[in-house]
This record gives sequence, structure tokens and C-alpha cells, in this order.
Amino acid sequence: MVTKLKETDVVIVGMGWTGGILSKELSEAGLSVVALERGDMRTAQNDYALPNIRDELRYVIRQELMQNASKDTLTARNNPSQEALPIRRLGSFLPGEGVGGSAIHWSGGTWRWTDMEFKIRSMYEERYGKKFIPADMTIQDWGITYAELEPYYDKFEAIAGVSGKAGNIKGVVQKGGNPFEGYREREYPLPPLKNILSSKLFSGAASDLGYHPFPRPAANASKAYTNPDGSHFGACQYCGYCQRFGCEANAKGGPQITVIPIAMSKPNFELRTQSWVTKVLRDKTGKKATGVLYTNLITGEEYEQPASIVLLCAFAFNNVHLMLLSGIGKPYDPVSGKGIIGKNYAYDTGVGSTLFFEGKNFNPFISAGGTNIVIDDFYGNWDFDRSGPGFVGGYIVSAGHNTALPIGYRPTPSGTPRWGSEWKAATAKWYQTAMAITTRSGVLPHRNNYYSLDGTYKNAFGQPLMQLTFDYQENELKMAKHGAEVVNRISQHLNPTKLAKASAEKRSWNVVPYQSTHSTGGTIMGTSPSNSAVNKYQQSWDCHNLFILGANVFPHNSAYQPTGLVGALAYWTADAIKNQYIKKPGLLA
Amino acid sequence: MKLYFALSVLLFSASVPAFGQDASLGKTKYQECVACHSIKPGENLMGPSLYGVYGREAGVVEGFRYSNALKKSGVTWDAISLNKYIENPQLFIVGGRMPYSGMADEEGRKNLIAYLMTLR
Repeated sequence: MVTKLKETDVVIVGMGWTGGILSKELSEAGLSVVALERGDMRTAQNDYALPNIRDELRYVIRQELMQNASKDTLTARNNPSQEALPIRRLGSFLPGEGVGGSAIHWSGGTWRWTDMEFKIRSMYEERYGKKFIPADMTIQDWGITYAELEPYYDKFEAIAGVSGKAGNIKGVVQKGGNPFEGYREREYPLPPLKNILSSKLFSGAASDLGYHPFPRPAANASKAYTNPDGSHFGACQYCGYCQRFGCEANAKGGPQITVIPIAMSKPNFELRTQSWVTKVLRDKTGKKATGVLYTNLITGEEYEQPASIVLLCAFAFNNVHLMLLSGIGKPYDPVSGKGIIGKNYAYDTGVGSTLFFEGKNFNPFISAGGTNIVIDDFYGNWDFDRSGPGFVGGYIVSAGHNTALPIGYRPTPSGTPRWGSEWKAATAKWYQTAMAITTRSGVLPHRNNYYSLDGTYKNAFGQPLMQLTFDYQENELKMAKHGAEVVNRISQHLNPTKLAKASAEKRSWNVVPYQSTHSTGGTIMGTSPSNSAVNKYQQSWDCHNLFILGANVFPHNSAYQPTGLVGALAYWTADAIKNQYIKKPGLLA
Repeated sequence: MKLYFALSVLLFSASVPAFGQDASLGKTKYQECVACHSIKPGENLMGPSLYGVYGREAGVVEGFRYSNALKKSGVTWDAISLNKYIENPQLFIVGGRMPYSGMADEEGRKNLIAYLMTLR
């Protein structure tokens, strides 16, 4: 039996960055807001304090902060001719679960995506001609501009406590920053993190070779900081437990120390944890969402939460899953190319080298999520001519240690046995002497990379699992080849004792080793209902009172990490709801 | 009784640095601590409440989980011990778990301690 609850103005599904931002903004605007989170209540003081949080076994190997794959997971395959099987243990990507979501265990990388992304098809066609873009590469313009988003990037960076060095303030290039970044109104809220030895070496070599190194912008507070909302950050202690962990010093930006506590202080806001949403409900016309159906995981009871506005703020692929389960919009069909929901899954990829320097002590345990130096000469740099290598997109190159953990971080030169006393001796010998140089490329969407509902496997609620069909294509291989050459050139310039060179091979995606949690697409943004699931306000074309937030709206992936854009879009959508939608409900223009 | 009182006041003041401290500047310095330490009585965040910290034994705030090292330290928080602790927490309490690398600026520490003295 379903118990129908009292109607609320807004129901929010999921309590990470986007759910937290919208909870705060809309409850402050006076709307009644109910947020439903399927995981646990977690707070910094109860869950991320020392000494318990520095536990690699618990949080990395046993994945305690991540989605529980025994309740709900995805099935995966590389192409439509294969049979998809369930991912029973998460590997390639790690969506977070519980209050704070994936923003608990992120590294903090915060980038501004520019018009090079939002106008990708038109810019490439204009410069390189229509034929340059492969027929099966389903990239499209987004219908939003950098100018529209600039104030919202600024807002998110200030709230999240981002450390960095500006490269372009109001069009004037700044020394030491990224000269290829989008123009900014002002400096980063905080100066860059300290430069560790591996970053310094990379920076020197990159400069020698004529590239433009700069510190990676990251929501790791380089100093104690109070954000514009009055939320307090401690200074980063370089403890090395960033990615996969909550921050023990309250130095890593996240909704749990910023927007969520503010929302929770409002009488018109209510957070219900252990509340698993199974469906978005609609009225008879199908054009309006009426609320959501959810199960209280403690009692097993089912509830209907009616609402005037429904916001999907779960992890990227869980938002898409909910759309498919609710039957909203037309599911994507790769054969005809028709349908939208599930289209344009994208991911990221890269290549890397490992350098060993006898006699150097890198102290890799001293690091943070953002202790990297990066070059953007082959991505944000639009002047970089792609016609020779023949790819769309590109890559950033970075070096510097992050989260080098006692169990997992064991660099050894090639030829070292994989186990036994020789391996032990080698890992002790080389531990202090190794650093890596890596590229990161966004995967470009392809006709055969998509989400759908699985026909065989079901989750704990008897609902079909999400099925992911994904593989790397030629474009990724071309980026990898070009990137490997640059990585090897920089690596050789540093003249290490031993070098494991970067190499690019044609290989299929594998769900087992961790690669990145940056899954994008599925409910993509665009200029009309014929090419997209949402408009530029992340508003569903099918139901105007349904907003779908997060990286699931990105029509393609970038070499930049996604969270800066996810956060900026969340504030942009919050403003659109507050200033336009509630005054005049309907499709926003 | 009267003598004891007078003596304790004398001892108390003797442990405070004689010059240079300014509680209002110290309140600004406390912004480095505020993300983890409340000044409200009984409000424990990442760290214990700092209300009444001055003159208190280390490791006794109710409801806060301390490291064994701090609990067994035998330290009482006065101007000398606070100064050493804030300068280099991990050196002063070996095995302590406050994730803070220390405040190098001596003047800042003095002012901060002057501010902590007012929290009562």
C-alpha cells in the first residue's frame, strides 16, 4: 500500500552537490522543500574525523562510501552484439552514496568548461569542415554560452573554496595561470596549493619545452577560508587522503560542510535519508510531474511524495535510470539513431608514463587532490591544430602525486616480479623515487555508446538494472597516440633513471580497474526536443516542472573534470527557478 | 582561603605572557580553527568545543573522542602548553590526532591564546 504524503513545493532526489545547492537556494527562497536521499546521513564530525577516515581497506578496497552494488548496479557490455552482465563489484567508476554523494570522496578538481564545449559542433565544422567530424560521433551544440555561465562558475568556486591561479582575468592573460582558460571576473577564491617536488619537476620540463604549466584548480582550501555563505573551511594539511575519503580537516569543498547544513537550518526544508526513489509520477496528460514514489529502506513502506516541482539530483547515471524507469521521454535506439533518453554516454581516458629517479625522495604520502601541475596546450588551446592528428577534443597533461596510499601505491619499474621477495625489495627501493605524467581526454560520444534498461537483470526493488553499452573509438586512440608522444617527450627531458613510457593501444573498455567517475550524458542538453532531453536550464522538454541536474546533461565529455560545470549549472538552474519559473511556470526560454 | 585565592590569581597571571597579546586580534586568528572548533559550550565538531579551554585539563570535554595520547598527556591548557601545542601539535602531543600542522607566527599564537582565555 502506498501512503500519500502532504504535497510540498519541491521534491529533490539525491543529496550531493546539486541536491544540496538546490535545497539551500530554494528553501531560502521560501519554498517548502523535501529532499530524499537513498543512503545514510553522514556528517564531517561523525564520519570523516581522524583516525577512522584514514582507512584504505575500509574506504578503497571495501568501498564504504560508494553505491552498494548488491542493491543496485549496472550491467555492462562493449557493444550491442554482446550480452551485458551486472557489475557486481564497482571498479571503473565509483558513484558515492549517502548525504554529500560523490562530493565526499572527490579530489576537488574544478574547471570551467568554455564555448569550445558548448559550441563544439559549430566550431569544429567552421574550422575543419563538416567531414572532419566522424559520422558516428554524435556531438552537438548545447545551446548555452560561457558568458551566461561565468557568474555561476564564479559563485560555485567561491562556495566550494577553490584554490588556483587565474590565467585570464577579463581577457588579460595572467602569468602563472592557464592562458587558455575562459576569461574570469577575478582571481580564484584561494591561492594555489603548495607545489610538491614531482609537480615542480614537471613544471620545469614543460616550461623548457615551451608549454604553459599552471597549478590545477581544486576545491582543496590552501588556507583557512570562510565562503560567502559563512561556511568555514580548514587549511589543507596535505595528508594524502583525498580521493575516496571524506576530508579530516574540513578543507575539501563539499555540500556537507556548505550548502546542506544551511538548508537543514531552515524550517521549510526536510531531509529524509534511507529513502529510495523508484519512479517519477506524472498526471494523465504525461506533461506534468506530480511527485515521486519512494520506499523507506528501514520500514520497507512505500510513499508517494507529491510536489509542484521535481528535481533529479542523483548521481549522473542514476538520474538517467530514473527517467527510463519512469518512462519519461523516448528511449534512445542506436539502430535508428532516434530517441533521446540514454543517448551520448561518455567517459574519460588517458595515457601515462612512470619515471623513476634514483636518489630522489618524492614523499608521495604528502599530497592533496589538487597537488598537480597541468598543461592545457593540447585542449583549451583552440590554436592547437587538430587537422594533423585528426581528432576532435584533445587532452590535458599533468603530474604530481595525489592520494598515494599504502596498499595501492606501489610503483615498480617494468621487469619487476608481480609478487614475492623480489617484488617486496623493489617496492621498498622505488617507492620514494617514482612519479607519473598522465594525460586526460574526454571521450567523445558515439552512436553505440548509450544507456538502456537491461532485459534480464533486476535491482533490489525488482526494477530492471541500467544497461551500459560503451567502448572507446578511433578518436580516443588518436588522442592517446598524440598524448603519449608529448608525455614521453616531457618524461625524457627530465632524464629519469628508469622510464616506463606512455603508449597508446587499441583496447576495449574494462569495468574492473578504477579509471574515473566522470560518466556523462544520458539526458543531454540541447536546443530543441528533437535533439535533447533538457533545455539549457536543465529543464525537461517533456515535463516543464521536472529538472534533471548533473553531468547527465552534458552531450559530450571534456578533458576537464566535470564538477565545476555541474556546480555552475546547479546555481544557474536555481536562479532560473527562483526568478522565472515560480513566477510563470512553463518552459523557460 | 583568602590567601589561597590570592595565590592562585598570582600563579594564574604568572603563566600568561606579560605583553603583546590582543584578544581581538586573536579572534581573527581563531578563524584558522573555526572550521573544526566551536566556541559554544558542549558543541563538538571535528574537534572539541573550545569553551572554557583555558585552565582545563587536556582530553576532558564530554562527548568528544580523544586520542589516547591526548587523554594520557597530563597537560593542563595554560599559556605555555597552548603555545607549544598550537606551534606544533604533533610534536607536543606525539600520537595526537588534530590535523593541523601548526601556527608558526608567535605573535599570532599569543593573541589567539589571549582570545581563548576569554571563552568562559
